[in-house]
Formats: sequence, C-alpha cells, structure tokens
Amino acid sequence: MTPPDAPIEGANGDMQPGRYYGRGVPYLPINGYPGKLIAIEGTDGVGRTTQIQLLREWLEVKGYGVVETGWTRSPLMQPTIELAKSSNTLNKLTFVLLYATDFADRLEKEIIPALKAGFVVLSDRYIFTALARAGVRGIDRHWLRNLYGFAIAPHMVFYLKVDMDTLIGRVLESRGMDFWESGMDLKHGDDIYDSFRTYQNKLLREYASMADEFHFRTLDGRRSIDRIQEELRRQVAAFLESADKPVEPAEAALAR
Amino acid sequence: MTFSLLHATDFADRLLYKVIPPLKAGMIVLADRYTYTAFARDATRGVDRHWVRELYSFAVQPDLALYFRVPIDVSLDRLMARRVKLKFYEAGMDLGWSTNPVESFRLFQGKVLEEYDRIVGEYGLEVVDATGSITEQQRLVRRLVSPYVSKLPEEPTNDAA
Repeated sequence: MTPPDAPIEGANGDMQPGRYYGRGVPYLPINGYPGKLIAIEGTDGVGRTTQIQLLREWLEVKGYGVVETGWTRSPLMQPTIELAKSSNTLNKLTFVLLYATDFADRLEKEIIPALKAGFVVLSDRYIFTALARAGVRGIDRHWLRNLYGFAIAPHMVFYLKVDMDTLIGRVLESRGMDFWESGMDLKHGDDIYDSFRTYQNKLLREYASMADEFHFRTLDGRRSIDRIQEELRRQVAAFLESADKPVEPAEAALAR
Repeated sequence: MTFSLLHATDFADRLLYKVIPPLKAGMIVLADRYTYTAFARDATRGVDRHWVRELYSFAVQPDLALYFRVPIDVSLDRLMARRVKLKFYEAGMDLGWSTNPVESFRLFQGKVLEEYDRIVGEYGLEVVDATGSITEQQRLVRRLVSPYVSKLPEEPTNDAA
C-alpha cells in the first residue's frame, strides 16, 4: 500500500484544465482540442439538472454547440448499473468500478469527440461524485485517484452547495429518500431518515475537502433557480469570452 | 479504456464472490486466466501499463501462476481446427489493424505474446511449454504445483476411534 504522504498520482488539483489528470487514455491524445468541459457538481436535490438545462439553452442561443453528459448515463452501462443497484449483490468495490466503466464509456464516446469538435460539454456530475461516494465508503484514496487518472480536468467545476436541512427538505418534497441516496448499504441503521442524514453529511464533508484542491467554484444552492443561473451565466460567459469567441459567420468571411 | 474497466468490474465481482471466500475457507482456487490476461490484453489495446497494474492492485497475489506459452501459429492452428470463425475481440478486430480475421489475430495476439513475455519476468510466472503433449504438460504442472499443495494440513487421522 502507498504511504499516505506519497504524492498522489492521477486525479489531483494540480492538473491544467483540458488535460488528463494522470496517465490518461494513451491512444486518445487530447492536447489542443478546442472544446470546453464544464462540470456541475453537488449532492442529490440541489437542482443541477435544471441549471444545466437552462445553461444549455442560453449557450445555444449564443451560438455555442452544447453536449450534455451525466453520471451513469452511458448506454453501455446504465442498464447494468440499474440492475446491480436493484439487487443486494453489489460490493462497494464493484460499485466503484461500475461507475468508472460508465464514465470511461462516456469519456471515449461522448466527451472526447465533443471536445475535439469544439463543443461545450456540460457534465451533470463528474468524477468528484465518484470520489466522494467512494471516499465515504472507505475505498483507498490513492487507488481511486489513480483509477480516475484517465479523466480530463474540467475547465470549470461549479459546486452547488446546500446545507443539510435544505437538502432534506428538497429531497422529501420531490421524490423522497431512496436506498442508495440514503447510504443504506453502509448499514448505519434501519432508519432511512437518520441514515440519509449521516450519509449525506459525510458526502458534504467529502465535497468540502475537494473544493480547494480541485478549484471548485462554489455557489450557494439555497438561492433561487434564477439567481444561481444568473451567476452561472456570468462566470461561464467570462470564461468562454476570454478563451475563444465562437467565430461569427461575418468574421469567418472576412478572414478568408 | 472502457473495455479494460468492464473486465476489471467483472473481475472484482468474481474475486469477491468466487475467489476470496474459498481462500478464506482454506480451499484451492484454480483461476483460468487472471490479472495477467488483463495486463497483456489492455496494454496491447493501448492502455497505460502502470495504470492497469494499479487498477488491479485490489487482486489477491496468486501463490503460483502458470503461463502456457505457444507460438502464434500453433495457437492459430488449434483454434482453426476447432471452429470456423475467430472471435471478433479475440482477433483484435476492434483495433482495425487488418480486415482479415486471421491476419488481425496474428498481429494482435503477436503483441499480446510480447506483453506476456514482459509479464513473465515482472511477476515470476512459471512458463509451461504448451506445444508439448498434454501428458507432458500435465506432468510438469503437477511438479510445479506439488510444493504448494504439500503445505496443506494433513487429513485428520482417526485418533478418536
């Protein structure tokens, strides 16, 4: 086992945006790809998906090509992950690897091609979700970060942060607490409310511990949808304008 | 990369359910292929060698690992004698090195064998010449395995009677 103070190889905050965190995917060089990767992180019920929808429309109106990708959404792995979650045979290590496989599939098939083609990729959750969930489940930190060394460091990571009481209110208002969101697999007890509280508290601590290292742009998730969206747009616009303006047809004609 | 992780997930599941429990119970586990297969296959597909070794660091180190080595032509002949068509991934057709399955197999498995040769030294695998007869191979295998098996506790003698 690697000593705890050894430098972390793989996913760590020192990596430049748009580059692989670690050894990457050797057969897919990504240097110089024009696309931008923007990740929205946050626990369940913070409104990530709503924000991404609004951001997408706004970006498209501004003339950007947008591709969305989301946790466990790979066509290859989604059915398997759902099946595994519905049974009781899922070990935490297998769980972590299923998520990583899903992510790899989306990285190779969706994210990298979109970056190559100059799209803005909006990622509903990113590897930080995996790092947080696995961290809570006691998976070895060095192993985990080496594992995700094939991930690309996003250009921007927004973290929608909420406090526990707001989170509980929102989850109960919408669809209620479910087994996995409540960390019932960790066997903190039979009470789903207590388990949810304990588990989500640990998750919030994991996110907090990553915030500085991975340069999260933390947004107050308790504010209204519109206020959050406004802030997202302000920061995304500033970044995209400084990075590369979409070429207007008129400018393209002049350039010729 | 996805291919590699998909196999690792399957491996983890089998390790936790089929390998570790019998080991804990003191039984002998015979694994038809192990992590070395993944090291060889994934590296040939362009996955980073160090990364894949780290990935599988959760695996149990085998007490003994045997590598049955055959030249490419022998393995091709054996496969062709048994069935008409080579499997898509077995022939590395996904890599697009050749549209001819036999040619692709030769190229892909050739690289896989090179990786195995690297692994043999790295992990101290026992090499068995698999071109020989089954009887010869089995005799060698038994000789290699016996030191490990003899370490097992003796069957309880009928002292109580």
